[in-house]
Amino acid sequence: MKRTLITIGQIFVLMLISLCVNKIIHIFNLNIPGSILGIIVVFLLLQFKIIPLKWIESGGNFLLTHLMLFLIPSAVGIIQHGNILRSDGLSLFAVIIFGSIIAMVVTGLFAEKFFESKRKEQGSV
Amino acid sequence: MIKGVFGILITILLYIGIRKAYRHFDNKPLLSPLFITPIVLVAILLWQGIPYENYHLSAKYLTNILQPATIALAIPLYKYFELLKKNFAKILISIFFGTIVAITSTAAISGLFNLNGEMANSMIPHSVTASIAIDISQSIGGIPAITAVFVVLTGIIGSIIGPIIIKYLRIENCIARGVLLGTSAHASGTSKAFEFGSISGTISSVSMILTGIFTIFAAPIFVSLISL
Repeated sequence: MKRTLITIGQIFVLMLISLCVNKIIHIFNLNIPGSILGIIVVFLLLQFKIIPLKWIESGGNFLLTHLMLFLIPSAVGIIQHGNILRSDGLSLFAVIIFGSIIAMVVTGLFAEKFFESKRKEQGSV
Repeated sequence: MIKGVFGILITILLYIGIRKAYRHFDNKPLLSPLFITPIVLVAILLWQGIPYENYHLSAKYLTNILQPATIALAIPLYKYFELLKKNFAKILISIFFGTIVAITSTAAISGLFNLNGEMANSMIPHSVTASIAIDISQSIGGIPAITAVFVVLTGIIGSIIGPIIIKYLRIENCIARGVLLGTSAHASGTSKAFEFGSISGTISSVSMILTGIFTIFAAPIFVSLISL
């Protein structure tokens, strides 16, 4: 019971941070999504030990475990764009297939070479 | 009363049931709750003739929690960052390189298929994890719902072809595997990466989050290139 209350409390802390970040974006007229600025801000708060991990960890992990749930209504929004899917659906599908293959092949080969050479350097020392 | 809570209630109930099945079948990407639940919901709305607005009336409260939940990604980023210190610069460069490749190839192929600006902008963040991709789509003039759907499909496709590419191209370094899966197939790729081992999985998690952050800064540049 106590643990549940702590988790709920921490979710409210994260919601509060989220609201503050949106306020900051609004006040300074920044062109960056609240989610990104929020990740950067919370990461820095943790990194510089301004807030301890345990203040947000259990609430944060709960939200992350169920991140998919919070995305479902946005995905259902596709229902309003049925005409786009009928006209462009196949092209869009082709973009993600070819885009993913190219990205994976190029990135994979680059990273493999990049880290392979390091391993050899270490071997020669 | 029922109408007031219908959207949120049915979404949560379906999510719980589908998540159970997903976990029962070893997290098969095709059974992902983020893939199956929207399909079932769209079918129900169409079958019952319920307008999206009525569904969204209460379902929007779930969307309101999306931003705090996304911000919580700072937690794994912080925890895993400690582990990366040794190869820090190289990992960062690889992820940045992967992000640029993903955006460039998507922009180029969108051009090849003659997609209009709005559609191309919706596709630019397709390799980014969904909650961040939706924000990016919105800020560069895409349609967030289209982005959400194709991000989910990218994850499913990526977690199927990723391991094939890793095997065929003999990507043997575990950091390289993590970067490949995390930058191209976000959360679905990351759960595959954990099957390769904890190092690949950790690198993939960090790649997934940083790809989102890099994309928000790099995407606007490419958007102006597409419109040329």
